[in-house]
Formats: sequence, structure tokens, C-alpha cells
Amino acid sequence: MSIWVDVARVASAVNILLLLALASVWGRNYLQFRSKHPLGLLIFASFLIAQNALALYMYLVDPTLSGWFNTAVPVIVWRLMMLLHVFETAGLAFLAWITFD
Amino acid sequence: MEAVLWYVLTGTRGGANRARILRTLDERPRNANQLAEELELDYKTVRHHLDVLMDNDVVQRSGDDYGAVYLPSPRAQSNWETIEEILEGME
Repeated sequence: MSIWVDVARVASAVNILLLLALASVWGRNYLQFRSKHPLGLLIFASFLIAQNALALYMYLVDPTLSGWFNTAVPVIVWRLMMLLHVFETAGLAFLAWITFD
Repeated sequence: MEAVLWYVLTGTRGGANRARILRTLDERPRNANQLAEELELDYKTVRHHLDVLMDNDVVQRSGDDYGAVYLPSPRAQSNWETIEEILEGME
């Protein structure tokens, strides 16, 4: 399969790692501040983690779905999926930069 | 300004210490050394937090270089209810 597939997979894996790091900061802050703002950020991170984990599950783990993604999905679809994941990685990297500053 | 305060104080890794710094500066203006001593933080850490707070116009500096004291900016003061709300939730 083309390089798009691998980039999409790597980007979703990186997204999960960035989100776990962000969620740990926001979770700790929620425990300290007990306010809705860090809680909201934590919820946002949890749903994005679920989204990326689901994508990885479909791309790599599930026998039927990963087989389908690997053989039957046209390249244009992979390119677009990859773009979405990579944009998300760029956005999360920036967010991590301001959060860990 | 409210969104900036929420993010800088409760959304970032150094947020809790920034909130403590802001509370201490509200009592009376201090320089970085006095802050470090009062809050038992590393001097460099305090300087970094003060830089972030200045970048976001939460504190301002009066005077130059070493002896400069920091105090809440006019923008922070006009949004002090938000800061109170954040500080109240702490601990």
C-alpha cells in the first residue's frame, strides 16, 4: 500500500501520545482547581483520544476493517484521511507547546 | 481576557504556580527574588512564569532589570472577578 496509509497511522499514533500528555496536565489541573475549564479540556482530549484510537483500530487491528482499508480503499481516500490526521497532529503539537510552556 | 486567564492559569502545566504568583503580587508588588523566596520556587522558574504572564498582559513590570517589581496589569485588575473565581477553586 502507499505511503499515505503509513503516514495516517503514524499521525494517529502521535496524536494519541500528544493527547495523553495534554490530558495528564489538564487532569492534574482539574484536580487542583476543580473548575469546569480544565474539565472541559480534559473531556475534549478524551474524545479525541477515542477518535484516534478508533482510527488505529480500524487501520491496524480489526481483521475485517483493516483488510478492507488495506485493499479496497482508494488512494484518494487515504490521502484525505492522512491530511486530517496530520492537520490534527500539527494542531495538537502547537497546543502542547503552549500548554507545556 | 477571560479566556486567556483561564487558559494560562488552569490549562497549562505551570498554571497553578502562575496563579500563586498572581495572588502574591496582588497582596503587594514584588520582584522575582522575593517571589521565589515567598513561594519557595526556583528563581529561574519564577522568571519564566513572569515572562509568560507578561506576554499575556496579566502582570506588568515597573522599573528596570534586577530590582524591577511586578504587579497585576490593568487588564488583569479589570478582570479580577475571573481571577478570584480561579483562585477560589484552588486547593
